[in-house]
Amino acid sequence: MGTAFELHNAKLIGSGSRTMMLAHGFGCDQNMWRFVAPAFVNEYRILLFDHIGAGGSDLSAYDLSRHSVLDGYADDVIALAREAGIRGGVFVGHSVSAMIGVLAAKKAPELFSELVLIGPSPRYIDDGDYVGGFDAAQIGELLEFLDSNHLGWSHAMAPAIMGNADRPELAEELTESFCRGDPEITKRWALTTFLADNRADLAELDARVLILQCQQDVIAPLCVGEYVHKALPRSELVVMEATGHCPNLSAPEETIAAMAAFLGRGRLAS
Amino acid sequence: VNDRSASDVDDFEDLFDNAPCGYISADGHCRIRRANKTLCDWLGLTCEEVAGRHFSDLLSVGGKLFYETHFAPMLRMHGAFQEVALDLETRGRRKLPVIVNAVEQRDGDGRPRAVRITLFAATERRRYERNLLSAKASAEQAVTREQETGELREQFIAVLGHDLRNPLAAITAGIRILQREPLSDRSRKVVGLMEGSAVRASVLIDNVLDFARGRLGGGIGLSLERNKPLARVIEQVVAELRSISPHSEIRVAIDIADHVVADHVRIGQLVSNLLGNALTHGAKDRPVTLDARTKDGTFELSVANGGEPIPADNLASLFRPFSRGEGGASQPGLGLGLHIASEIAKAHGGTLTASSSQEETRFTLRMPVQPDES
Repeated sequence: MGTAFELHNAKLIGSGSRTMMLAHGFGCDQNMWRFVAPAFVNEYRILLFDHIGAGGSDLSAYDLSRHSVLDGYADDVIALAREAGIRGGVFVGHSVSAMIGVLAAKKAPELFSELVLIGPSPRYIDDGDYVGGFDAAQIGELLEFLDSNHLGWSHAMAPAIMGNADRPELAEELTESFCRGDPEITKRWALTTFLADNRADLAELDARVLILQCQQDVIAPLCVGEYVHKALPRSELVVMEATGHCPNLSAPEETIAAMAAFLGRGRLAS
Repeated sequence: VNDRSASDVDDFEDLFDNAPCGYISADGHCRIRRANKTLCDWLGLTCEEVAGRHFSDLLSVGGKLFYETHFAPMLRMHGAFQEVALDLETRGRRKLPVIVNAVEQRDGDGRPRAVRITLFAATERRRYERNLLSAKASAEQAVTREQETGELREQFIAVLGHDLRNPLAAITAGIRILQREPLSDRSRKVVGLMEGSAVRASVLIDNVLDFARGRLGGGIGLSLERNKPLARVIEQVVAELRSISPHSEIRVAIDIADHVVADHVRIGQLVSNLLGNALTHGAKDRPVTLDARTKDGTFELSVANGGEPIPADNLASLFRPFSRGEGGASQPGLGLGLHIASEIAKAHGGTLTASSSQEETRFTLRMPVQPDES
């Protein structure tokens, strides 16, 4: 495969006429999809990748100015999707990757006809009547946390992994990369993510959209999910039983079921 | 027996509640079933108030975000996270820095059954870490500043050295003209001393320029001479130094059988530095000896002088720039001569070493007769 694949540590698994591209959110990497991807390998060709700066991506591909806006990440997604020959595929984006997917689908409408947005937020900071869930000072606090924890991370990752004792090969692979982005890039990505305002980009999206909204998600609260639903005319909003921000990890069965139902309805309609 | 087990249970309860750390027993989704008294006291809440909350409810906003984006995923994927820095938010909205460890317990299907969390108060540690971070930042700034200053200083040295050459050349030319004139004995002596001073000044300038160039990344470049005899160069340098130190004896033994491929100007500079050093620091009543020979493909040149030995501790630092031995500032020169000589040796693929005893202090250059072309 060509360059974009290598830069993004991309992998194709499964078989099917359609491709499902799985995009991880801020903080982690493609291992986020470990519990979800296996459910779709028989029906879809699945494209897994790491955003630049995360997981096993090529850090030298990080571009200070291009990656200072989500649009730059959307361009990465487009390049990768084109290299994989995707047309009319499914894009599944968790957290910040939900908006990255929206941006990519608008710039290159031929790539994805269906989007699954897990915990999307077009803007994290409150603005007038708009409730994003945070004020600017609180986002500053997050950045401070990145500072105080980045030493700890690189250490904590290596030998201290305790889970997966029954599947050591899994543990080893995860140890290498999981949640282990370059600290400086992680910090910049946090800025890019949490200071972004992509509300205007929701307008005029052609693709069908599924919004998966968790209960008690501090990062993307219910009112934000409802806002996205209202702004995207061809969208469905599913409020899940799952709590927190990562249903793909904490409630994979429910996530898979909601995705399969949405994609199945799409097939009936077409 | 019953009494004993009852008191064991009490003891265990006491360990849980009053341990010098916070304990949380939570369900598989981090909802708190029970927290110990130590933690509830830290939070300023009753244990009933804490039970039923989600673990992330106890955290400051920054901590909540970080928990969701990093630690909850890690806990699910790895089954544990360790030594994570978080802030608890107390009833009075005060922040309490803690270090948190957690393990996830799973059922037979790998589903999370319970989460065990320990929290350690870390106010001092966090302050220390912040101090470390800011110390690191200011150290990095200081290094950058220092590098800039250093570079400026070296550029200054390079320009100064270069500019000094022109007036020195004029002085040397003037001396040559005077030497051809009829002079009184006294004047001839003075002109001879002036010549010696001009040669020394020129050597110093060369050294300073080489040093600055080396520091600025230019390194010592060589233009290798393959056919001319090296002995001539050495003899010429010896003659020069004899003329400016007429009262010292320099004994020379040269036995160069092979053609030595070397930069003749550089080797001349090296010999001049070594001889100058020996004449300056050696005992005035003892001869300086120069020995140059080739043997088994190696060119060896050594310069020895008598006098006070150099303490063993100082031998290693002799080749560092601005090293001036025990005498410190009272010694003449910049302390660059030996450094440059050693750099010249290295550039030829050779070494310059020093030994010192009661009998003599000796500097030895060893280099291959043919450079390693690989």
